[in-house]
Amino acid sequence: MFIDQFVMANLIERPARTLTCVFGVAIGVVLIVVTVGLAHGILYETGQRAKNVGAEIMFQPRGTFGPSLMSAPLSLPVAYCRLLRQIDGVQAVTPVGRYVRSGTGGIGFEVIDGIVTESTDQYETYAEISGIRIIQGHDISADDEILIDAQKAKNRQLKPGDGYEIFGRRFRIAGIYEPASGSRTKMRLSVMQQLLGALGKCSSILVKCVTPDIQEAVAREIDRRFPGNQIILTRDIPRFYSEGVPALAVFVRVVIGLATTISALVILIAMYAAVMERTREIGILKSLGASKGLIVRWIEKEALLISALGVLFGYGVAYLTKWGLTTYTSLIIRFDVRWFLTAALVGLLGGAIGALYPAAHAANLDPIEALAYE
Amino acid sequence: MGDRKRSIVETRQLEMIYRMGKIGVHALRGVDLIVHEGEFVAIMGPSGCGKSTLLHIIGGLLTPTRGRVFVDGHELTAMSDAERTDLRRRKIGFVFQRFNLFPTLTVEGNLRLAERIYSNGGRDQVGDPVREREILRLLRLDDKINHKPTELSGGEQQRVAIARAVINRPAILLADEPTGNLDSENAEIVLRMMKDLNQHFGQTIIMITHNPEAASMANRILKMRDGRIIS
Repeated sequence: MFIDQFVMANLIERPARTLTCVFGVAIGVVLIVVTVGLAHGILYETGQRAKNVGAEIMFQPRGTFGPSLMSAPLSLPVAYCRLLRQIDGVQAVTPVGRYVRSGTGGIGFEVIDGIVTESTDQYETYAEISGIRIIQGHDISADDEILIDAQKAKNRQLKPGDGYEIFGRRFRIAGIYEPASGSRTKMRLSVMQQLLGALGKCSSILVKCVTPDIQEAVAREIDRRFPGNQIILTRDIPRFYSEGVPALAVFVRVVIGLATTISALVILIAMYAAVMERTREIGILKSLGASKGLIVRWIEKEALLISALGVLFGYGVAYLTKWGLTTYTSLIIRFDVRWFLTAALVGLLGGAIGALYPAAHAANLDPIEALAYE
Repeated sequence: MGDRKRSIVETRQLEMIYRMGKIGVHALRGVDLIVHEGEFVAIMGPSGCGKSTLLHIIGGLLTPTRGRVFVDGHELTAMSDAERTDLRRRKIGFVFQRFNLFPTLTVEGNLRLAERIYSNGGRDQVGDPVREREILRLLRLDDKINHKPTELSGGEQQRVAIARAVINRPAILLADEPTGNLDSENAEIVLRMMKDLNQHFGQTIIMITHNPEAASMANRILKMRDGRIIS
């Protein structure tokens, strides 16, 4: 269609303006795709670690899953372990404490698991259930020792023997374990109980079934015997993380709003500048009999074409960012087609909205004044 | 021109007052004008006498303060802005002193744009390729079709502007100082071509000019002074 050729000519003949707009729209697209991808990636990875505890069932007091899991108090009596172990189909149980503190430098948060390292007649060790193994150093053998996983050791450049501060106390890294399971830092549950003033308590109990295919039946039986508590199948945890974090939905909405605003503003400014620059051309179009609708369509088409280029460029930058982040940092990005489509919609919608005012301004220009414009 | 020919443009008691704050400046003071189909009319007069205002009103780019304007039987002064735009699209071609071509488009692109606007963005029937070829040949632009305006001389640019103005068979061609930016040689070429358009295609032309030699190409010369046609 010719008008597209005309629009294309305008884009090609004004490369600086075109590139500025493309970058502006791309920023919005990258903002959505990367930040949402990053949030989902982190949650997914956390969920995967939570799932990777080796047990099929997590038993804990009601209302302590989801974001609250991060700050689950030590309120569940460890004595439940013995009762749970008596249920048919249960092979092993282990209590886990959970403590959350601010992350390094006050950014994010750090979760610490309290685990049992010696089995009793009530429960097994965390290692026995989860299958973690020490790849460097040794297992916890003293109260002031902790374990960290290999990823944390790599990220923070820590090794056995290094000091580590928790609860304002100096701990020592006894060993490094694999695979990642639960939180990345583990200390003795008894020490955590002492420091939190919760002797005999834990945050949750991991229940391993004789075979995974009976987990639902076992979960039902646990629920029947101990109603009022929360029974979670660990296979569902990644989904809970990706879907069940209300703060993420708010965060995503904010990001989308921000991205739409950026796209719309960039297009508005650029298209308005372009209309001002091309005032005389608009006067010529009017002298040729171009209707207001045609002028609006022409400017909107140009904005949409720029926005489409911005969306494609944004996709490219997003993939490049993913490659950079996953190659050079431990961050995980999970892209989702849904968010690519959302970003495209936001970019195009932002562009179309942003071009509305310049288009209306152009359509309403006085032809004589426009023709006299220098 | 013979009286039997129908009028293509008619103005009755046309007045135009530009408001500049509280002061009103009379640009036209009761202009009565009839231009017949196929006429080539030149309008002469000193700067500020109202020539361009008259042309812009006839072209529907300006609304007069008082009076009536008829173009090809349609009363322009009774129309809405959208209707005037539509009439301009279908009935009127403009040629300006400054050529006013689109610099990003080739000669062909400029012509196609005019056709696209004439077809209301592609909704209506697009122009006639035979006429397009004839006009390009008449204006000696056949070999310049892929050139951009910056690659053409002033005379060539003005010929493209004329081609663009007449490509859609307008009822009337309005030319505002079409040779004002040209040297005498190119001016003569452009004027001769306008004359050819008038003679070969029967194109009605109203041309504003300061130049008596340019005006001499027309069938009829009107002189204006102080917002009135004096002869």
